[in-house]
Amino acid sequence: MAVKKKWPAVLLTAALSVGLLAGCGESGGGNAGPSGSGSAEAGSGAADDLKPITFTFYSEDPNPNWTNMQDEIGKVITEKTGVILNAEFAVGDPVQKSALIASSGKYPDIISAKNSINKFVDAGAVIDLTELIDQHAPNIKKLFGDQMNRLRYSNDDPSIYVIPTYDGVGNTIFEAGGGFSLQHRVVKELGYPKIRTVQDFENAIKQYLAKHPTDENGNKNIGVSLNADDWHMYISVTNPAFFATGAPDDGEYYIDMNTYEATYHYLRPEEKEYFRWLNHMNAEGLLDPDSFVQKYDQYKAKIASGRVLGLIDQLWDYADGEKALKAEGKFEYTYGHYPVTLNENYKDTSFWPTGFLAGYGIAISKTNPDPVRTIKFLDYLASDEGQVLLNWGIKDKHYTVDANGKRSMIKEVNDRRVNDATNFQKETGIGNYNTIGPHYGDGVKDPSGNYYTLRFPEQLVEGYSDVEKEALKAYGATTWKDLFPKESEFKVKPWGAAWNIPVPSDNELTVLDEKLKTITWKMVPKAVLAKPEEFDRVWDDYLQQLEKAGVHKAEELRTQLVKDRVKLWSE
Amino acid sequence: MRGGTPLATQTWRKSVSLADRLLDLFITVILAAVAIVTIYPFLNVLALSLNDSTDSVRGGITIIPREFTLENYKLIFSFGGLVTGFKISVLRTVVGTLLGLISSSMLAYALARPDFQGRRFVSVYLAITMYVSAGLIPVYLLIKDLHLMGTFAVYILPGLVSAFNVFVIRSFIDGLPYALQESAKIDGANDFTIYWRIVLPMTTPALATIALFIAVGQWNSWFDTYLYNATSPHLTTLQYELTKVLQSTTAGNGGDYRTTNMTQVLSTVSPESVKMAITMVVTVPILLVYPFLQRYFVKGMTLGAVKG
Amino acid sequence: MKAMSSAAVPSGGMPPEGRAPKFWKTAYRNRYLYLMTLPFVAWVFVFSYYPLWGWLMAFQSFKPGKPLFEQKWVGFDQFKTLFQDDLFYQVLRNTLAMSVMGLTAAFTVPIVFALLLNEVRNMFFKRFVQTVSYLPHFVSWAVAASIVTRMLAADNGVVNDILTGLGLIDKPIQFMANGHFFWGIVTLSDVWKETGWNAIIYLAAMTGISGELYEAAKVDGASRLRQIWHITLPGIRSTIIVLMILSIGHLVSIGFEKQFLLGNNLVLDYSQVLDLYSLQYGLQMNRYSFGVAVNIFNSVVSLILLFVANGLFKRMTKESIM
Repeated sequence: MAVKKKWPAVLLTAALSVGLLAGCGESGGGNAGPSGSGSAEAGSGAADDLKPITFTFYSEDPNPNWTNMQDEIGKVITEKTGVILNAEFAVGDPVQKSALIASSGKYPDIISAKNSINKFVDAGAVIDLTELIDQHAPNIKKLFGDQMNRLRYSNDDPSIYVIPTYDGVGNTIFEAGGGFSLQHRVVKELGYPKIRTVQDFENAIKQYLAKHPTDENGNKNIGVSLNADDWHMYISVTNPAFFATGAPDDGEYYIDMNTYEATYHYLRPEEKEYFRWLNHMNAEGLLDPDSFVQKYDQYKAKIASGRVLGLIDQLWDYADGEKALKAEGKFEYTYGHYPVTLNENYKDTSFWPTGFLAGYGIAISKTNPDPVRTIKFLDYLASDEGQVLLNWGIKDKHYTVDANGKRSMIKEVNDRRVNDATNFQKETGIGNYNTIGPHYGDGVKDPSGNYYTLRFPEQLVEGYSDVEKEALKAYGATTWKDLFPKESEFKVKPWGAAWNIPVPSDNELTVLDEKLKTITWKMVPKAVLAKPEEFDRVWDDYLQQLEKAGVHKAEELRTQLVKDRVKLWSE
Repeated sequence: MRGGTPLATQTWRKSVSLADRLLDLFITVILAAVAIVTIYPFLNVLALSLNDSTDSVRGGITIIPREFTLENYKLIFSFGGLVTGFKISVLRTVVGTLLGLISSSMLAYALARPDFQGRRFVSVYLAITMYVSAGLIPVYLLIKDLHLMGTFAVYILPGLVSAFNVFVIRSFIDGLPYALQESAKIDGANDFTIYWRIVLPMTTPALATIALFIAVGQWNSWFDTYLYNATSPHLTTLQYELTKVLQSTTAGNGGDYRTTNMTQVLSTVSPESVKMAITMVVTVPILLVYPFLQRYFVKGMTLGAVKG
Repeated sequence: MKAMSSAAVPSGGMPPEGRAPKFWKTAYRNRYLYLMTLPFVAWVFVFSYYPLWGWLMAFQSFKPGKPLFEQKWVGFDQFKTLFQDDLFYQVLRNTLAMSVMGLTAAFTVPIVFALLLNEVRNMFFKRFVQTVSYLPHFVSWAVAASIVTRMLAADNGVVNDILTGLGLIDKPIQFMANGHFFWGIVTLSDVWKETGWNAIIYLAAMTGISGELYEAAKVDGASRLRQIWHITLPGIRSTIIVLMILSIGHLVSIGFEKQFLLGNNLVLDYSQVLDLYSLQYGLQMNRYSFGVAVNIFNSVVSLILLFVANGLFKRMTKESIM
């Protein structure tokens, strides 16, 4: 009965709190609409340009290390531009949130919508930036130079809605993280044989496995394990098929260099032979039987146990596993990267150049209270000063410049950056702003002769373990990339990369692609795991299913998109 | 206690108690097995959360950490917004539960009354809402038009009436003898008084159950924070803050792996063991709610009153 | 268990002239009850019924940004696309199969568990087991699926190790690779994860059973098993029925998280469910109207199931929810 008496009081308090908080929330809270105190006209004097203003920012990428610009370089940015960003990052699948924002009419001031940008363009939510860039953004103009026409949206609508912020201009990749990976101990014991074709790869594994069938605890060693958990399928199972047969990465389609015609890449006869080889590996017992069933964390755990001799994956995809091995000092169990292809006729295409890939980036919404300030803000980020700030940090705090003008990171700072990455990013802010504005890529030098970014060749070599260096030396290379065919050996693709071409929202292609993907993800594992004599039958069945699902229609649609893109980018 | 029990009864009583004891044994064994099987995942998560993150990748950890560390927890508590998140989460759980209980129980009471004219209509009306949903976009627009975006109220108001809760409480009330309500009516009490003074105290087990459901639901919510309050950091919830960290490894649905700088992203992404620590931090507070509610799971104070 | 005489309910067969005033009279008598319900009814209208205008989107080719009435109307095209899609039927089959299996499991295991728990006399053991039993509910499906996958793995998986050790099999079985096992695995995983939580309601209902009934039965010489059968079970009958009717309505919309996390590419034919299909082919492809069409299909089927279940139970057991 005492409980009963308390209730009215509790209720009253609850009701009051709700009321208070409801009121509280409304007046003080931020909202997704336009805010800030900036003037709406184009800023005239310098004083105007630095008046504090807050823009709301929405990004489809997650960023748990965002600190509301309270980190070290964030504060500098605010000091120099007067801008504070009230940012919101996607959690989980961003597509729903983007759809909601696009349909609500209440847009954030700055939008980084990656693939969902077409929702916003269709809704008329974002503005054309051509004029703004031309008049207020000299650094951005300098950054893009003659690539400007790649920023245009489409042939029908040549406005610039998006300033690309994902790809870096002039980017060079310094390291080969792909190819086929073999543990150092394998190549070492076999005397560093040539690893050029899948046959070489297979032989190395077979020989080593025959000598060492189990590890010291009696657990079986595994020849090759594949990473097939959901989208990892692309990276470890299906993309290698074209890398190893002379075709560049254009997503799920192979594009002919001359006619621009698209073919669903699995239809290429060379790739059938690649999967036949995988099937053969399975039949020989060299392929991990759990490959298509295991989850990502099980895959990594296997690698961390050191039992997996070979991998067909990208370094970043299995880095966690390698890190665990390195932590235990087991450097001979870590992996080297080899440009393996189906046979000597094919070159590994990991480095086929695409030119600058515009596409994903920053858009300014039509409800933005001060687009000129916004562009100037972005322009600052793209300036030489801004770029150094974003990548290197603050002079004498994070980096030093010696008497010859050479810039280098302070050693303790750099160590922290590598070993305590999360906290480092939160405190300094380095890494938090890279995709908010357009930027230069790796390997590009600024006017002072230093690199803009922190990723450059010298740094790479320092990171190699002794075992790794030994292996590289035996192969006559300083970095793994040396073993791979270089960019200069290929013609630049006029369409960039097919996977980067946005598909308009009402195009049938999206549905077709999904259906084809489902069939492929079902049938390819089936073909690989089948008995060798069954392989052809399963593969024919697979091709038939693709035909039935409309693969040729999809190819036609894709071809049209590629042709449109070539036109758009070559004027 | 009484002397001179006939032999037949004594033997019979003994065999009954043997059957009883076997039953007890059987039950104990089964329940113990259940307890082991169900506590395992939780202990596994706990162990992983106390284990060094690089070592965790190796797998093979069951219920004891291999390389003990508190780093994972330290990392979590270094993320901003947790304190505010915790406060708001507690607040919405308490307020949401109280208001939810009141609304559900009131409706349940009215619907349990056989003489309530609107009974059938309201039952059907409520039941339909359980299976019919308008979809994200219309609801989002509604919330926006009602100016509930960026408010605390958006955590409470839309979900205030839950048909499921109403039906569960109602079925409980149905099991109570109607005679009590009738005699109160005869004594001149109005419907509201009967509800407040008589029915409600008798339904404590149902109320405790529903309170638990609502509380857990409120505590675990993050999607509404994500949709409506993402740019209002003073209204953030614990679950949302931690989900942000938890979800950051998915890197989109993978179609984006080419554009995201994977190496950079993955070096700052929380390893598995941090995710386990997050699970613990989020789960433990709500687990403490149940034992607190357990004392309400006692036989309602009903039955003495009904005799005669 | 239903309350006694519903004497106050006016049944059919009233003289028409008398009905209108009789209605208002009863309404007046019920005024407090109306006061206690109408605000909430209005509330529900705002948040649950009003947004249903969104269903109109299913008859359009909706593109966000333009107001509803400026969109292109396409009649039943979205539905036609849906019903002509082979994948839709496969997905529906998978959904129903797992729902029915799940339903069967959910109405046996937790009830048995609650019954067993109710019989425990040692309060400490009882509370301990109950608390522990609902712990898996709080562990996310991502973690739970990971545990299940690991246990069923062919390489060092616990289950295979035990089976080989006992000599029942000589090669490890790839449980997760076989589509035919998938539905069973999903159901069993769900049982493991949710039984404790689902049992809470039944335990609560059991506390509402009069202790006198048990006393009387003991005096009559009933064994514990008979007490369970004749007192406890009937005592929670209403609760079971209510829950069952409500669950039947949910047969087509079971979410997709656990199927997605437990599944892999080899069992795609068995693991894709309706809610995932709706998300993938609807929202993720910007085909909002299509997504809404699937949603409408879901809702209509659910309602049909609900009313049928309700009607059946009303006939058979005289108890229902409407």
